[in-house]
Amino acid sequence: MPLSRRDFLKLTALVTASAAISSCALAYRRLAGDLSIVPWTALGANDFRALNRLTFGPRVGERARFIEIGLQAWVEEQLDFGSINDFDCDLQLLPFNTLQMDANELEGISNQLFDGYDRETIPNELRQAALMRQLYSKRQLYEIMVEFWSDHFNIFIDKGNGFYLKTVDDREVIRKHALGSFRDLLWASAHSPAMMIYLDNQANEKSHPNENYARELMELHTLGVDGGYTQQDVMELARCLTGWNVRDHFWLGDFVFKDEMHDPGPKKVLGVPISGAGIQEAEQVIEMLAAHPAAAHFISAKLARRFIADEPPREIIEKAAQIFLNTRGDISSVLRVILLDGLKFAQPKYKRPANFILSSLRILNVETDAAAFNEYLLRMGQLYFNWTTPDGYPDHSAAWQGSLMPRWQFAFDLIRNDIKGTKHNLNALLEVSSTGILQDDVDAVASLLLGAPLEALRRDRLIDAVHAAGAADEEALQIITASLIASPAFQWR
Amino acid sequence: MPRLSFAPVNTAPRGDVLVVIFLRGAADVLNMVVPHGEDAYYLLRPALGIPRPDDSHARKEERSLDLDGFFGLHPALQPLLDAWQAEQLAIIHACGAPDESRSHFKAMELMERGVDNERGPASGWIGRHLAALNTGNSSPLRAVGMGARPQRSLSGSVPASALLSIADYHLGADPRALRQMRAALSTVYQDDVLGQDTLSIMDALQKLDPLNYHSPSTPYPDTEFGLALKQTAMLIKADVGLEVSAIDLGGWDTHFAQGSVSGLMPNLMQDLAGGLAAFHADMVDHISQLTVVTMSEFGRRASENGSLGTDHGHGSLMMLLGGSVHGGKVYGKWPGLREGQLVGPGDLAVTTDYRDVLSEILTKRLNNPAVHEVFPDHQPGMLNVLG
Repeated sequence: MPLSRRDFLKLTALVTASAAISSCALAYRRLAGDLSIVPWTALGANDFRALNRLTFGPRVGERARFIEIGLQAWVEEQLDFGSINDFDCDLQLLPFNTLQMDANELEGISNQLFDGYDRETIPNELRQAALMRQLYSKRQLYEIMVEFWSDHFNIFIDKGNGFYLKTVDDREVIRKHALGSFRDLLWASAHSPAMMIYLDNQANEKSHPNENYARELMELHTLGVDGGYTQQDVMELARCLTGWNVRDHFWLGDFVFKDEMHDPGPKKVLGVPISGAGIQEAEQVIEMLAAHPAAAHFISAKLARRFIADEPPREIIEKAAQIFLNTRGDISSVLRVILLDGLKFAQPKYKRPANFILSSLRILNVETDAAAFNEYLLRMGQLYFNWTTPDGYPDHSAAWQGSLMPRWQFAFDLIRNDIKGTKHNLNALLEVSSTGILQDDVDAVASLLLGAPLEALRRDRLIDAVHAAGAADEEALQIITASLIASPAFQWR
Repeated sequence: MPRLSFAPVNTAPRGDVLVVIFLRGAADVLNMVVPHGEDAYYLLRPALGIPRPDDSHARKEERSLDLDGFFGLHPALQPLLDAWQAEQLAIIHACGAPDESRSHFKAMELMERGVDNERGPASGWIGRHLAALNTGNSSPLRAVGMGARPQRSLSGSVPASALLSIADYHLGADPRALRQMRAALSTVYQDDVLGQDTLSIMDALQKLDPLNYHSPSTPYPDTEFGLALKQTAMLIKADVGLEVSAIDLGGWDTHFAQGSVSGLMPNLMQDLAGGLAAFHADMVDHISQLTVVTMSEFGRRASENGSLGTDHGHGSLMMLLGGSVHGGKVYGKWPGLREGQLVGPGDLAVTTDYRDVLSEILTKRLNNPAVHEVFPDHQPGMLNVLG
C-alpha cells in the first residue's frame, strides 16, 4: 500500500524520535494521531446491534460513518480490507519485534541457554498485539475474522514449542487467510508446525498412528461431529498423516514430511481409496474435506452463530453453505450472505470477555497500550491463546453468564484510571456534547455505550441512588459510567 | 410421563452437599485403577502399564497399590488409601455413557446435559436437579461453579455463579466509594437475579476471611484444583447454603508421552488425590453430609499408542467419596480386556451407565423426588453403593 504524505511525515517523525521512544507504546499511540471525536446521536436498536457485530464496539467515528453509508456499503468497505489505510495501527505495532520473526529467530530469542526458555515474552507480545489490533485497527471485520479463526483452529500456546510457533501460525495461517479462501486456510493450518505440535501429529508414525490431529481435522476443522465420518475414517486419516512433522534442528520449527515415518499402505477415507502417494495422501483428503458439503454447512453455521444468534435461522445457514460450495469456500462471499441477509435476524448475544473489555475501551475512546488486560481476561476466562482444548473459546451466550464480578471489577478499575498504561478521558469525550447538566451527560454516555439513553425514569433513579450514597456530580458521572459498563445491557452485543 | 412431574413441588429437606469433579479430556482410567489381575492389560501396555503390586522386577514405589486382589491404585493415587481404608471411597469401574462418538466435546456436552442425544433438554443435569428440588433455600450460593465460568451441567432455571477466588471477590475501594458503587450496581441490576445474587455473594464472602483459613493437617495442593476444593470447604463450614459445587480438573487428553509412573498424567493424579485427601481430612466433621463424585467424558484406548500415550476410548470410571458411601470396594461388572471383550477400535466396554450412579446420589442423598426429570432418557439401576 502506498504511503500518503501524512503517513510519510509521521514515519519521518517516528524515525527521528525512535531512540527516545523505543519501547513505549503510548508514545506511538500519540504519534499515530488522535482518534477523532465527533458528536453522536442515539442509534436504533438494529443499527447499534449491527455495529456491535461488525466491530469490537463502535467508536464515535464509526457510528457516524455507518449512519452515512449504511450496512451494505459498510460491509463492502470492510471486506475490501486491503484498501483500508491502517497505518496508524501498524505504527503502534512497531514495538512488537517478535511479530515478524520466523520460528528460528523466535527460538533464538527465547532460548536463555543455561536458564532454559523464556516462555512468557513471545506469547504476551502476541496477546498484546492481538488486543491492540482489535482496538485500533480500522479493519474491524478482518480482525473479527482473525479472532473467529483463532478459535476455530485453536492452539493452546503453552503446549510444547507452541509458545513461539503460535506467532508464526498467527501470521502465516490465520491472518494471511482470514478473509481469503477456506481451502487455503485449512491447507495452511494443516501444514502449520504449531498445529502439528499442539495436536501431537509430530508423534504420528507408521505402525503407531496417533489419532489426535486426524480426528479434530474432521470433527472441529471441517465436517463437524455429525458430518458423516466414522472412527475408521479417523484411524485411516491418521495413517495418511503419518510423517507430517516439524524440523527439530536446521530450519528448526519448519514443516517437514518425513518419508521414513510415513505408512505407505493402502487406506480408505470417506469411501475414497488412497495409497502410495506420500505427503499427497493427506493433501488429497484435505482437498476433499475443504470442498465437502458437511464442511460448508458446519463453517456457515458457526459463522452464523458468531454474527447472528446462538440459534441462527436455518435458511441463512443453508444459503451461506450453498455459496460456500459455489465459491469453493470464499470466506468473503459467505460472510456477505451472513451479514447482508442474516443480520436482520440478529438476536442478543452475551459478550465474551475480550469483547466486553474491548467494547468499553473503543466506545469511550480510552488510550491504552493493552499491556495490563491479561490479568482481567484470565479472571474472566478468556486470556488469548490459553484455551487448552482444540474447540476454542465457546461462542454461545450461556457459557459466559454467571460470572459478573470480574466484569464489575474491570468497569470500576477502568473508570478510576486504576489500570496500568490505560487512561480514559470522559471529559474530553463529552466536550463535544456536554451541556454541563448531569442528566444530559448520563444520556450522552448511555447513548454511546448502549446505543440510546436510558428511560428518563431509570436514569433519574440511578442518579438519585448515587447522590444518596454521597457522590458529588463529577464523581457521580464516573460511578454511573462504570455502572453502565457493568450493567446487564452492556453485557450483550 | 408420570403425573408426579405436574404435582406441586413441596419443600424437601436439604440433603448432602454434592461436589461434582469433572476430569476433562477423557482420563486414562486403566492407569488409575489398574486391573493388575488381567494379563491382557500388560500385553496392551508394554511401556505404560503399571506393575503388579507384587512385581519383584519393579521398584516398590512403581507398583500399583492393591485394592482387592484384582484392581490396584496407581502409586500417584496413594493419598486416597486413607479414605479407601475408612470405607468412605468407592470406585465404579467400566462406567460411562452410551455415546460412541469419541469426541470430547460431544461427549462432555451430552454428559453434562445428562441426555442420550442433542434432542434432550438443553439444561444441565445439575440445573434440572436444582429446579426439581425445592429445598426452600434461596441462597445465591446454592450452586457454585468453581472457575472462571459456570459449568455446562449447572445451566438451568436456578442461577449458578462462577467463583474463581473468594479472596478476589470484592470491588476493592474505600468504604465511601464502595457505597456509591453498590448503590449504582443495585439500581442497574434491579430486575436481574444474577446481579442481585452477585451483590449478596460479595457481602457473604466478605465475612469469610479466606486468607486466614486454617488448612487441615493434610494441606491442599497449591493448584487451581486444590483451591477449588479448599473454597468448597470454606463455603460448607460457613454454612452459606451451598448445595452443589462443580469443579473441573483438566488436562487428561494424553495422546502423547503421558508417563507411566511419573510424568504428565501421574502429576494430574497427584493433584487429584492430594486434593481429595486434603478435602476428606478437612471435612471430617461434615463427612456424613457430603458426597463427592468424579467423572470423565470417556476412557482411553486399552492399548497404548506409539507415542507413549493413549487415544480416545470408551469405558471410564467414577469415584465416590463421602460418609454414606459403602466404600472400600470396586463396583461394576468388569468387562475384561481380551479380544472379543473390547469394543470399537479396542476400548474398555461400558457396563454401568454413569446416570445409574448419579441417580442413586440424587435419590438417596439429595432427596430428589423426580430423577426421571433429571435424566429423562434413562431408566436408572441401583448399585447400592450409597447408604
